[in-house]
Amino acid sequence: MPALHAEGIYKSYESGQTFVQALTNVCLSVHAGTMVALLGPSGSGKSTLVKALGLVSPPDNGRIWIEDQLVVDGANVFGDLRHVRRKKLGFVFQRANLIPFLTAKQNVQIAGDIADTPNPGTRADELLRYLEVGHRAGSFPRELSGGEQQRVAVARALANSPALVLADEPTAALDGTRGRSVMELFRRVAREQNAAVLVVTHDHRTLDLFDELHEMEDGRLKPRGGDSH
Amino acid sequence: MNLALADIRSNVRRFIATSLGVGLLFTVVLAMAGIYGGLVDDATMLERSAMAPLWVVQRDSRGPFADQSRIDPSVVARVWAVPGVARARGLTFQVVQRRASDRELRFALVGLDWPEDDGRAFNVVAGRGLGQAKGELVVDASLGLAVGTALTLAGEEFRVVGQLHQLLGPGGEPVVLSTMKDAQLIFDYAAPDARSMERERRLERLRVTELASMAPSIEGLLADPAWSPPALPSAPINAVLVNPFDSVSFREIQAKLSGWEDVTVLTNQEQEQILLEGTVDKPKRQLALFSIILIVTSSILISALIYTTTLDKLHDIAMLKLLGASSARIAGMVLQQAWLMGVLGYALAITLGHFAFPHFPRRIVLNDTAFVGVGVLVLVVSTLASLVAVKFALRVDPARALEG
Repeated sequence: MPALHAEGIYKSYESGQTFVQALTNVCLSVHAGTMVALLGPSGSGKSTLVKALGLVSPPDNGRIWIEDQLVVDGANVFGDLRHVRRKKLGFVFQRANLIPFLTAKQNVQIAGDIADTPNPGTRADELLRYLEVGHRAGSFPRELSGGEQQRVAVARALANSPALVLADEPTAALDGTRGRSVMELFRRVAREQNAAVLVVTHDHRTLDLFDELHEMEDGRLKPRGGDSH
Repeated sequence: MNLALADIRSNVRRFIATSLGVGLLFTVVLAMAGIYGGLVDDATMLERSAMAPLWVVQRDSRGPFADQSRIDPSVVARVWAVPGVARARGLTFQVVQRRASDRELRFALVGLDWPEDDGRAFNVVAGRGLGQAKGELVVDASLGLAVGTALTLAGEEFRVVGQLHQLLGPGGEPVVLSTMKDAQLIFDYAAPDARSMERERRLERLRVTELASMAPSIEGLLADPAWSPPALPSAPINAVLVNPFDSVSFREIQAKLSGWEDVTVLTNQEQEQILLEGTVDKPKRQLALFSIILIVTSSILISALIYTTTLDKLHDIAMLKLLGASSARIAGMVLQQAWLMGVLGYALAITLGHFAFPHFPRRIVLNDTAFVGVGVLVLVVSTLASLVAVKFALRVDPARALEG
C-alpha cells in the first residue's frame, strides 16, 4: 500500500464571478521511501492539489488514502482530518514559516508535542542534529539564515514521523546551491526516514534527485518520465 | 510547551507595559471596593463598638446617629429598673468642629454616662479610660493628639488621657470620648462674639415687652456679661444603651420597652440597617457605577491588546492548526495570555494598594471577600476580553499557512 494514494480527485472554486475547475480526475500514488516531484506552470493546480492531499482543503470528489486509511471518499471525510494531519503528514513551504516567538528547537518540538510524540524535546534535538542545525537549537528564526530556517522547517515536518511529507516549492526562496542542498535533504529523508515525499517545484536543476516526476496542466496530471502514472 | 508564555517572552516589554496600565485600573477598582468597605465600616463602627444589643431613642426617631433623638436622662433609670436589664447607660452624640490650641478639629463627640461608662470598652490602645467627671478626653489616634496633650476647648482646659485605634463616627470623623457633661459643654459652647450678640437680642426682645418698664432691674441683669440663664437640671441625652442579663433575650426586653410611649427601641441590627440605608446607600451606588465604568475600560484595554496580538499571530495560528493543534490549544494560548495579564495587573494593584491606600483621606477597608471578589472579577473580565480574539483565532483557516 502506498503512503499516499489518490484517485479521481476533483476540485473547483469560484474566483469572483469566475468558476475555476482547479483539479480534474487527478490520480497519484506516492510510496514510502520515494521522492516525487510535481511540476507545472503557475495556476496549473499544483498548490490546490497539495492542499487537497494535505487534507487542508478536501476535494469535491475523489478518494484519498493515507497509508491504509481511507480518509476522503467523495464528499465524505472519515475521522478527524486534523488528527490525520497531526499524526501522518508533514508540511514544508516556500518560506520556512517558523513561529517567530519560538526557538528552532521549540518550533520542532511543538509539532511533536501536538502529535503526542514521545519525548518531543529529545526528538527535536535529534532531528536538528540530523539536519545539521543542532548548534542553532536555541536560536530564534530571525537569527537564522534562509537555509538554516528551511532545515528547521524540514525538521518540524519530520517531528511526528510522518508517512507523507508535502513540500510546496521549498527551494523557491533559496539560491541554487542552497536549493539543491535542501532537495538532497528531502531525498535523504525519504531514504533514511522511509517517508513518502511529494515536492512541488519549478527548479529543473534538481530533477535528477527525484524518483518520479509528474506534471500538472490545467488541473490534470500528466506523467513525465520515470514510473509516473 | 506553553505557547502563551513563549509569546509573552518574545514581547515582554509590550506585555508588561499593558499589564501596568491594566494594573492601575484594577488599583482604582480595588480602591472603590475599599472605599465602599470603609464607608460601611465607618458607618457602623461606633454602633458596633458600643456593644449594646438595644438602643432606646426618642419615639419614632431613627437613632442618635442618623436622626435627632432627644430623650430625658431619667429614661436611663427607668430602663435600668426593667427586670432583666443588666446595664443601661446614656449616650450623647454630636459632630462638632472646634478650634483647639490653634488647630481646627472636626470630630464625632460621644458623651458617656460616666462613671458607669468610662470608654475603655471602645478599645483604648494607649493611656486609660475617663477617670474623672470633668476635663478628660479619650481621642482617636487619627486626630494626632498624644496621651497627655492639654488643649483648650469651649474655653475649658482638657487633657487627653487615652487613645483609641481607628474609631470613627458614621460620617468618618474621628471619635472623641468625654463625659456627657463635658460633651454638652463643648457642644453648647458659643464664642464671646456670639454670646454678646445673643445678649443684645435678648435685651431687644425685653424692650418691646412691658416687662422692661415694670422691672427695670431685669435689663441690667440681661446686659451683665457674667450672667447666663439658669440651666435645666439635666440636659437631654440622645440614646440609652441597654444590655440584658445573659439569661435574658434582648427581644424580651425590647418587647417590654416597646410599650413605652415616649421611646422607640432599636436592636443593633436595626440601627446598622438605618445607618447603611441612610449614609452609605448613595455613595455605594456611585462607587458601583464608577467601578463598572473602570471594569468596562479594563476589559476593552485587555480585549484590544489580546485581539491585536492575536492578529499579529494570524499566520502562526494557521501554522499551528495545519500541524494539527486542537482548538483547545489555540484558545488556551489566547486565554492564558489574557489571564496572565489580568493576574499580573491584579498583583500590581494589590501591591500598589498596599502602599498607597493607607495615605488615602478616607479609610480603605478590604476584607478577604473583597480581595477574592475582585480577583474573580479580574478573571471574568480577562476571559470575556479574550473571547473576541479566541473566536477569531478559531476561525483562522489552516490553509493560510500554505500561502507563504
